[in-house]
Amino acid sequence: MITYKKSRSVWSRVGTAANYTLLGFLSLLALYPFWYVIVSSFSSSRAITAGEVSLWPIEFNAEAYLRLFDDGQLFVAMWNTIVVTVVGTLLNMALTTLAAYPLSRKRLMGRNLLLMFIIFTMLFISGVIPNFILVKSLGLMDSYWSLWLPALISTYNMFVMKTFMEGLPEEIEESAAIDGAGDWRILVQIILPLCKPIMAALSLFYAVGWWNSYFNVLLYITESTRQTLTLKLYQMILQVNQSLLNNVGSEGVEQVMLTPEGIKAAAIVIAVTPILVVYPFLQKHFVKGVLIGSVKG
Amino acid sequence: MKDSRFRNRLKRDRHLYLMLLPVIAFYLLFKYAPMAGEIIAFKDYRLGDGIFGSKWVGFKHFQSLFGSIDFWRVLRNTLVLNVYSLVFGFPVPIILALLLNEVRKEWYKKTVQNLLYLPHFISWVVLGGIFIAILSPSTGVVNAVLEHVFGIEPIYFMASSTWWPVAYTLSGIWREAGWGTILYLAAMASIDPQLYEAAKIDGANKLRQIWHITLPGIRSTVAILLVLRMGHMMDVGLEQTLILQNQSVLDVADVISTYVYRVGLQNMNYSYTTALGLFQSAVGLILVIGVNRLTRLFGERGLW
Repeated sequence: MITYKKSRSVWSRVGTAANYTLLGFLSLLALYPFWYVIVSSFSSSRAITAGEVSLWPIEFNAEAYLRLFDDGQLFVAMWNTIVVTVVGTLLNMALTTLAAYPLSRKRLMGRNLLLMFIIFTMLFISGVIPNFILVKSLGLMDSYWSLWLPALISTYNMFVMKTFMEGLPEEIEESAAIDGAGDWRILVQIILPLCKPIMAALSLFYAVGWWNSYFNVLLYITESTRQTLTLKLYQMILQVNQSLLNNVGSEGVEQVMLTPEGIKAAAIVIAVTPILVVYPFLQKHFVKGVLIGSVKG
Repeated sequence: MKDSRFRNRLKRDRHLYLMLLPVIAFYLLFKYAPMAGEIIAFKDYRLGDGIFGSKWVGFKHFQSLFGSIDFWRVLRNTLVLNVYSLVFGFPVPIILALLLNEVRKEWYKKTVQNLLYLPHFISWVVLGGIFIAILSPSTGVVNAVLEHVFGIEPIYFMASSTWWPVAYTLSGIWREAGWGTILYLAAMASIDPQLYEAAKIDGANKLRQIWHITLPGIRSTVAILLVLRMGHMMDVGLEQTLILQNQSVLDVADVISTYVYRVGLQNMNYSYTTALGLFQSAVGLILVIGVNRLTRLFGERGLW
């Protein structure tokens, strides 16, 4: 009996150690690709081309960054991304709140009808072409409104906020209403302060979405000076991707033509740094947002 | 009498309706108007003529669509890539969550979680760029290792029809597997600890505890997420596919959405590809409604 118990505890200790090791290995695996581009961006193009880069920078230099700084285009693009993200997120939060608050009031007449009106747009999703034609005929091409307007509300996020608002105690609001506060004042002075955690989570979801998206920019923003960081990267990578093709046939010829791997790596590092920097601080809000959303949905 | 009550309620909540005005305008203009725009699938749409000026052609585009090889190719690719992601991608977060759930050192668990969640927040452009760089036959680290350690000739991962779907599936797992653990971990955290105590007293080891307590405890979460996933069998992540694909793998990498983008927008075959998009939306609608029925059948709350 005793020996059995003892052997089990040995096995469970081995199991625990194996589990910790495996998880540690997996997290390094998740992280390694980022490490690889960082290392590449500081390596010489000779070392990258020779395939010598794996764990540490080879022939350390920051030339790729200097060339990107010199060129300056990437910083225009980053500024554009910041504008798109900040304004887009503010618009998102304003409209999402304007939808979620009234719809969270059970007394609202026609509430179910409105909900059905909105839910149907989650079920039947219209294709890219009709959306493209709409944006084009509204004359929004090359304006950031072509990005913001069609994406003003994420219906899923709106429902998350609505669910959260429905969970707030009704008494607070009732006593404010008795004191003569109108709906706008109740929303701004009572409801919104209570919604801070969900506002934080949803703003982050929206902001990350704006920061990362590229397909809508590809569709609607053709003017080079107005393009965002992700689109610039997309074009760089597409170049490399196309040359990969030629690579299949004839080796070596394409190396001169394409954006050097080091420059591409440096551009990726610049694009990803803001997220890597803020991520550790904001991570818990994201998780909270997912959990609130899963209550219903 | 009833009419006045109606008017009173309308008047009382007028500010709420005022708030909803821009919201309703948004849904009408940017959700419902494009739905109406789908009628160009039944017309020969040209930019100059406008939607109303274009000629009706009935089911012409659907007929040429269903008769084309391209349609069956992109439909097959869409479904195949989805099946790969489902079969190989769906179990990974469950396994990760089971592993994480056994970690007792909070700081270690937190650190691992933070690292595993990270790729979810990175743009597909960046992840795609990194993936292509790592797998590059001439400069990538994977091929360098294969060559120097195992003596294998460089593999053109992104340009080979055999390897591309593998790379695609792995990139999806890399981005989403960690993030996908959140709901499972929450479900595991809500399991009554007394069950584990009782099992320990009965002499059940860790594996048996997982099998008999943890897994049954997350069963409904698994079921609902699986069913939700099935509802999306017609969508393939457009941004993911577009960044990873290239000309030489279009036979396996071209999916409905990328085909619509290339043939529809770049070559301006608006009506033809709208027909394809409409087909996708219709099947998507049927899938989601079916899936909602199914979740109710499981005794879970439906989506609506």
